[in-house]
Amino acid sequence: MLLLKRIIIFIVFFTWVQKSTAQVFGYKSFKLLEDNQPFKINTLYKTTDGFIYAGTTNGLYTFDGKKFDKINFSPAAKDTVTAVFEDDKKQIWSGFKNGKIAKKINNQLQYFEPEEGTPKVAITAFLQDKQNNIWFATNGEGIYYFTNSHLYLINEAEGLSDKYVHALALTDNGDVLAATDQGINICKVNGAKKTVEIIGPKNGLPDYYITAITPAGNNSFWIGMQEKGFCLYNHTTKQIIVPTAASNWNYGQVNSILATPNNLWIATQENSLFKLSDTAKSIKNVFPTASDKNNISNLLSDNEGNIWMTGAAELICSSADKLTLLPLYDKAVYATIHTILSDYENNIWVGTDGGLIKYILSANKIETKNYRIKELTAKTDITGLYQDMFHNIWISVMGEGIFVLNPITGSYRNINENPLLKKASVLSITGTGNTICAGGLEGVATIFELTESNKNITANYNYTNYNDIPNIGNNYIHSVYKDKMGRLWFGTDGKGVTVLQNGKFINFNKSNGLKDDHIYSFTEDAKGNIWFNTKDAGIYCYNGTAFKNYSLTDGKSDLKITSIKTDKLGNIIIVNEKGIDILNSATGSVTYLNNAQGIPDVNTAIESVATDSSGNILLSTSGGIVVYSPVTKTIHQPTTIITSIQLFLQTIDKDAEPHFNHNENGFTFNFTGLYYTNPDEVHYQYKLDGWDTSWIATKDQSIPFPNLRPGKYIFHVRSSVNENFENATEAKYTFTISSPFWKRWWFILLCTASGALLLFLYMRWRENNIKKLQHLQNEKIQFQFQVLRNQINPHFLFNSFNTLISTIEENPKNAVGYVEQLSEFFRNIVNYRDKDIISLGEEINLLNTYFYLQQKRYGNNLKLNINISEAEKKQIFIPPLTLQLLLENAIKHNAVSKETILIIDLFMQKETRLIMRNNINPKLSTEAGTGMGLQNIINRYAILSKEAVAVTNENNYFTVSLPALKHQ
Amino acid sequence: MLKKLAIFFSVLLLLSFYTNDQAAEYKVNTGSIAFRSEASLELIKAMSNELKGLIIPEKKQFAFRVNVKSFKGFNSPLQQEHFNENYLESNKYPAASFEGKIIEDIDFTKDGVYSIRTKGNLTIHGVVQERIIKTELTIKNSNISIKSNFTVLLADHNIPIPKVVHENLASEIKVEVKADLVKK
Repeated sequence: MLLLKRIIIFIVFFTWVQKSTAQVFGYKSFKLLEDNQPFKINTLYKTTDGFIYAGTTNGLYTFDGKKFDKINFSPAAKDTVTAVFEDDKKQIWSGFKNGKIAKKINNQLQYFEPEEGTPKVAITAFLQDKQNNIWFATNGEGIYYFTNSHLYLINEAEGLSDKYVHALALTDNGDVLAATDQGINICKVNGAKKTVEIIGPKNGLPDYYITAITPAGNNSFWIGMQEKGFCLYNHTTKQIIVPTAASNWNYGQVNSILATPNNLWIATQENSLFKLSDTAKSIKNVFPTASDKNNISNLLSDNEGNIWMTGAAELICSSADKLTLLPLYDKAVYATIHTILSDYENNIWVGTDGGLIKYILSANKIETKNYRIKELTAKTDITGLYQDMFHNIWISVMGEGIFVLNPITGSYRNINENPLLKKASVLSITGTGNTICAGGLEGVATIFELTESNKNITANYNYTNYNDIPNIGNNYIHSVYKDKMGRLWFGTDGKGVTVLQNGKFINFNKSNGLKDDHIYSFTEDAKGNIWFNTKDAGIYCYNGTAFKNYSLTDGKSDLKITSIKTDKLGNIIIVNEKGIDILNSATGSVTYLNNAQGIPDVNTAIESVATDSSGNILLSTSGGIVVYSPVTKTIHQPTTIITSIQLFLQTIDKDAEPHFNHNENGFTFNFTGLYYTNPDEVHYQYKLDGWDTSWIATKDQSIPFPNLRPGKYIFHVRSSVNENFENATEAKYTFTISSPFWKRWWFILLCTASGALLLFLYMRWRENNIKKLQHLQNEKIQFQFQVLRNQINPHFLFNSFNTLISTIEENPKNAVGYVEQLSEFFRNIVNYRDKDIISLGEEINLLNTYFYLQQKRYGNNLKLNINISEAEKKQIFIPPLTLQLLLENAIKHNAVSKETILIIDLFMQKETRLIMRNNINPKLSTEAGTGMGLQNIINRYAILSKEAVAVTNENNYFTVSLPALKHQ
Repeated sequence: MLKKLAIFFSVLLLLSFYTNDQAAEYKVNTGSIAFRSEASLELIKAMSNELKGLIIPEKKQFAFRVNVKSFKGFNSPLQQEHFNENYLESNKYPAASFEGKIIEDIDFTKDGVYSIRTKGNLTIHGVVQERIIKTELTIKNSNISIKSNFTVLLADHNIPIPKVVHENLASEIKVEVKADLVKK
């Protein structure tokens, strides 16, 4: 039964995800299909972890870049999700079309059911205010907020302009802004007092129908409208600013607005997505060629700088915030290009067969201008372009040296004042400030120093050649670079790298540890480290003292590096034919933008990469120029999240106390490394402290541990886009499995203690027993001694012999009987001496013998009445000689005469006591007794029985009551 | 408080004036309101059959009122005295009321059972609290019957619980309202 249950849990809801081909530049599309029909995504939400939630007509899903996972209802329900929200405690809330609200608990949705009930119309938005109260907006009932376990409603009674609320936003001072059909409503709650202020057309709002509110910083908000585009509302000044780009809006309803560090994005109902960059004054359609991209809504940006949105029935991811394709030229032109340049006005220059083409980019059109250089043919490649401080363009050419061109007049000339450059093959031309560096074949390594006179290209240039320097000269120089410290770096083909510092040349090559002596191009990061790429060994960073190599194992995607550049954020951009690797110069972590984002084939010529005046990187590709604009505050590694933990396949609460019983030991950890840019490239490593000793690499996102021993564990998981986990984010879960109670210290201690106690008690009991036994033995010996002493007492013998003498004289026949009785008595004493107890019958026989002997002396003045049944004689036991001693005592202590007859009674009392009793006739002269006899009896009974011997002396009777010992 | 009461009654009066010529107005015929305090040591319940009120469907408005002194069924006469004098101060605040508007749109001409929510001001012990109260409303043969359960936090209405009766008096009181209304 349990197994069946587990199998059922295993059956998850498989929903088709259709991913459109990744080779489209600028966007990826994902469709959620059921029965081959895509269903609508109504809302998107990004959690603080960076996880994207999609609220659909088919329920709530999480999306990890590859697949949608449905969050099921408990109990099962099927509601259309219209709003998703995460509160400050990371609690996920979901609002539905039917007005219901649910919370995500243990990976399942459970309805939120306040006493007041929930709305009957769609939930459109959630918000958490500064007092941490949850608000939600509805489509037809106004705005609710939940505080002190009660639900409150703001509707027209409080002055809400309209009960149809489309969006909520929180202002810096804690007010709640609501987008309604009738303007912006400012809601304030102060205790029980609720007020609403309306910002409408009379406050300058272009349109009364508000569709979107997006925070813009500084207590300002971007407002999306139904008809009039968008505007900026400042809540501090209550002013409304309409940007020029929106002044003549004719693109229809705005659905959503998103502000990123680089751009403002406006999603529309009928005209797809628009982008307004800081620099541009007008908006640009992001998907001009994708005619189906309408009904765009729910904009959000992930932590990697991708823009997400929903289309009519799809989820769209766009890289347009960081990548722009300028389709300036076709493939035929591309084939002739070896170098590109972005000039100081951000116009793009390319070197092509026989001249240059300048592309002038303005808001709405691209102008092309050709510059022909008649000395050049299709066979004389232009290898490099550089714009100097006077805006003149330097052109390095294979076999034709260097040309310099005035971009305004179009006039140019060959730099023939340097004989080294005559017909030389120059491979690169770079520069900084007034210095221009050229490198090339046959030892071309030339530095030009510009002066004011060089404003005009006709004036001669001052130059220095470094052709005769060892390790540079007569060689193949790929590039020459002047760093910020003024050092000159020469990258040679086969002789390593040479630096000119303080007039001295220093060469670094294989003997200094470089793996490759073929050095291509240089760049410098913000800290002054020099970076260069090599032919086969990746790139190197020189920090002034040592070289550090970054190769494939460090995450570089391709060793065939075209060129390296530093972007505006200080990261190193490594260009290869598939795209770019972005190396974080601070941490060394690497991420990629490549053909997975639709970047076309990249030109492999060293100088086919350029940097524009704002620090963007331009690549020449077969599809045109690709501009990479680094986005600030983005992450460069996947975000590792433990999505759920299962105990025997049942999801458990991650936030609950992580203590488990010894039999709760089958765990499954499900995790993800969120990396929406390239989810297929995510690698994982995990380690269970307490179980594994080292990290284990995996591409699985679910790791089971079926049978863990009791102990303390920490499950760690980390993810990376490559094999380099140095800067990977880590997620962990600490838990303990307790030992079974019989293995816990307190139980062991308890057991040991009780064992010891038992042993101790047993030993004491045994010791007591031995003592008792010894005691009994002692008493017995003493008693025997007493008895013997008594019987061999000369007085007894003297009396007996006197009796015997008189008997012989009077009746000699009886004398024989008397002697027989006397000997019988002594034999019995000897016989019973060693026994602890004898039967009452035996004792009575002995008593009778003794009585016979005494009666001969006292005659009828001594009487013994025995009233004991035959059965009792057998059943009851008694220490030997007890009764004899008592009888002897009675005779000893009492006068026996005709006047004072001594009567001794022996009988049973209530079957439990044996009573021996005599009447008291006090003697005038008492025979000295040791008093040991009676005490000895008492002691012996104390050992043999729980009941004590009772001795009473009252009513003229001396009574000894003995416990009747029933069995041996 | 008197002022508030005066306003309340004038609203009631006004409502009745307004609706006189507008036909549809429902008045409580029989109505009861009961409350329970389920404390750890004692269960206290009391009930009043003197619930008064009206619903004006066209305006989605309603008003209900009960005389505090009309609650009966306490565990002892002393308890009733405490209820009136110490807790509710019914001499000072003789009535408890709930008045407001129905959130949903419902068709009062159609028979059926409707789950509705009302938004209004709940006045107890002279303290006005805005509340949303869920109600089951049944329309049958142009008669209305309502049934509603809700809770009242004593603290919300400035009703202090002395420490000695903490175990005897719940901080949250459960209230049940039932009423049959007829068209006037």
